[in-house]
Amino acid sequence: MEDISGALAVIGYGLAAIGPGVGIGILAGNAVQAMARQPEAAGMVRTTMFLGIAFTEALALIGFVLFFLA
Amino acid sequence: MFSLGGFDVNRAMLLMFLAAFISIALLYFGFRKARVVPTKFGTAMEGLVGFVRDEIAMGIIGPTGARYFPYLLSVFLFVLIGNLFEVTPFINFPITSRMAIPAFLAIVTWLIFVINGFATHGLTYLKESLFPPGVPKFLYVLVTPIELVSTFLVRPFSLAVRLFANLVAGHVMLSLLLVSSYVYITSVGDIGARAVIGVGWSVLGMGIYLFEILVSFLQAYIFTLLSAVYIESSTNIEH
Repeated sequence: MEDISGALAVIGYGLAAIGPGVGIGILAGNAVQAMARQPEAAGMVRTTMFLGIAFTEALALIGFVLFFLA
Repeated sequence: MFSLGGFDVNRAMLLMFLAAFISIALLYFGFRKARVVPTKFGTAMEGLVGFVRDEIAMGIIGPTGARYFPYLLSVFLFVLIGNLFEVTPFINFPITSRMAIPAFLAIVTWLIFVINGFATHGLTYLKESLFPPGVPKFLYVLVTPIELVSTFLVRPFSLAVRLFANLVAGHVMLSLLLVSSYVYITSVGDIGARAVIGVGWSVLGMGIYLFEILVSFLQAYIFTLLSAVYIESSTNIEH
């Protein structure tokens, strides 16, 4: 079996992106559902959705920064 | 680029002053004199300022948001213009992708919400944020360190890193796509018909270009929104 080569940091970033990816998917999907069920609350849902995305995304972005540091 | 009284002035610094100057100019020319029927530019600026005031300052913080509205508006405009330098032809360099600038803005937000907390509630602010009520006594061993780290350390860090990493990622992606399309197309003499790949890269690059304009607005909005949320959390600590 030949040796595996390449930067380990790339794999690390890939792992860091899994969780936030799933999280943002769930979040946005549920936000769309909420907006479809209650269109008059769409503005509030959208603001909360962006907040949630910002918090969830932070983990993936920290992974991205560590990819540059490593 | 050049030295000025012992300080080395580089591109990021010049662009930083340019961004500040543009935001002042936008506000000055937008609201120079009140008209009964505003000009098109005046209406656009009113929409932008009204959005920051109603959706972010008043919408998140509540009635006391008027005190923080000037700060939030300047941060919004500065970050937005700094982000848009990424897609400005011949500049192509977002100043917010230099860590110093988001870090400084995040520290200012941190100072504002911590000082606001102490000024509004005194030492109760520390007690309420470190020892949230309604938690069983023995769990404070676990909860207090977590709250300390998440409120006073992770908040400014993640605020700065979010803006920085988004802009770096966009800048790297644009540079890779557009440079590779340039390299492929100009080497048509060496590799012949395979240079067509370069056209695909440039089309993809243009798509990402539009996406980056969206990201610039979104990140400026999120930075301001989170600043407002943090200030709100130190103003109303009853929940």
